[in-house]
Amino acid sequence: MDRVKTEGLTKIFGDIIAVNKIDLAVPEGSVFGLLGPNGAGKSTTVRLLCTLLRPTEGTAIVSGHDIRDEPLAVRQTTGLLPEEGSHTLYPRMSAYRNLEYFAKLYGIPDKDIPGRIEELLRFMGLWERRDDPAGELSTGNRQRLALCRAILHSPTVALLDEPTASLDPIAAKRVRELILSLAREYGITFFINSHNLAEVQRICDRVAIIDHGKILLAGETEEIRSQLGTGRVFRVRVVGDPSAALSVAESAEFVEEARLDDNTLVVKVRDPEANNSRLMMMLIERGVRILEFAQEEMSLEDVYLAVVDGGED
Amino acid sequence: MSRNKSLVIAITDLRMAMKARYVRYSLIGVAALGPVVAIVTIIGLLMTVPATSSEFGQMLSLVMPMGSAMLSLMAVIPAGLISANALVGEREQNTLEPLLATPLTDRELILGKALSSIIPCVLLLISGTAVSSVVIYLFTVFNGLPPVLFPDLPGLFLILVVGPTVVVAIVAMMILISGRVSRVYEAYQTGTAAVAVLLVPIVAPSIGLTDPRSVWLFDLITFAVALVLAAVAWYFAVRFFNRDAMVSRV
Repeated sequence: MDRVKTEGLTKIFGDIIAVNKIDLAVPEGSVFGLLGPNGAGKSTTVRLLCTLLRPTEGTAIVSGHDIRDEPLAVRQTTGLLPEEGSHTLYPRMSAYRNLEYFAKLYGIPDKDIPGRIEELLRFMGLWERRDDPAGELSTGNRQRLALCRAILHSPTVALLDEPTASLDPIAAKRVRELILSLAREYGITFFINSHNLAEVQRICDRVAIIDHGKILLAGETEEIRSQLGTGRVFRVRVVGDPSAALSVAESAEFVEEARLDDNTLVVKVRDPEANNSRLMMMLIERGVRILEFAQEEMSLEDVYLAVVDGGED
Repeated sequence: MSRNKSLVIAITDLRMAMKARYVRYSLIGVAALGPVVAIVTIIGLLMTVPATSSEFGQMLSLVMPMGSAMLSLMAVIPAGLISANALVGEREQNTLEPLLATPLTDRELILGKALSSIIPCVLLLISGTAVSSVVIYLFTVFNGLPPVLFPDLPGLFLILVVGPTVVVAIVAMMILISGRVSRVYEAYQTGTAAVAVLLVPIVAPSIGLTDPRSVWLFDLITFAVALVLAAVAWYFAVRFFNRDAMVSRV
């Protein structure tokens, strides 16, 4: 079952098309990453999904509710960590009071509020700081507190807009671990906006790339990586001068690109399953002594740059 | 549930507003100033004009409506400050998005924000009137003067009916403009324009319109203007309350 499903979701501000007919599906229990450069439409998408904004065209079903027709039900079943979440707390209120306020607004029964707050603050390692004004907590702790607020009412979907932006590497790692624990422990479906590619690659099992309001690519993270990169680029280390290997590669009609990189031959092969063994045979037949023939792993960053730059071109 | 959520917002907003130093001091200052102005004006008259003189009655009919109007004016000023803080302040502090992402209806949100200003202002009006009334009465009694009951009936009408109506007008105007301004002070300057309505019962006695019929007439005119302003502003505030506009400006 898809926890988030958008159908031609569009948002136009004046002359600007912020989100342009996007179709996305996020299955239950997954950690989904929406990648894109600044101004690509990521935050607008999240604001549409949590009904802060009303779509110009199209719609989305979030936790089984239509964002156009059932905004209250959508808000009841989603949690939001807005962009710069650590700055969206009431700074003069204590950590506990910040959560208590939202617990009441989410309609959590009074008798359940203290227990729920304690559970989450302990889970996030903030219980000892519960009486401190939110404004006096470190950025990392504020971000964790904002994350507590986002999942306070046990939402089925949590929308996190740049959850680790402005955090130091250790705090960012802690937040990533917390997201994964929350997905495991509470079965929450996460929809994460980010331009931190390494982060998305680490924690998201599904990903989409958005630019200029359009989805350029969407699917399972590994599938996308393999679709676009893995298996196509090979690094070949040879004994002696690699220039002979380079000329062999350049002569093969199935090689799209061949170059030398630090005495290693780097080749981009079309239809690698059929052709990489042919390339190997050609090299051996021409007397090239192969030390290593390895596939080059393409990172999500490579994919992202290829897709986004490609889109701009 | 609806009433509870609005009340939760109102109480929290009020607590938050009181934690902001400028709001707290303004509120305390204005709260104290209203009764002080009323007391000083009336007691000043009692001390300077002999109670037996023919001018005493005239002066009393001048300062009684002015005192009531001043008391009302001072008590409604914080409404603008609190509601500007509660609406535009949320956006300025970046706390608006999480609030709007909760399952609150527009009505609950508007009511909560309105109550956070209306409750303290009505309390200020009542407490300011009570304090002024007791102090003035005791002063006259202990000084062997004819007892003065402040406020008089038109004054009571001004304080307990017109004052809260002006508060509602201010809050409604603040809601109306909250999606169109970016800063608290901009909202405060615009929204509190409704306070000007209360200048009518202050100015009217000072130009000689002190007979009871004139006082009532101007109080009723003030009430009518405030009521129309409150009704129109409230209608448009609710009708055109626009989450899109509020969030798009974040």
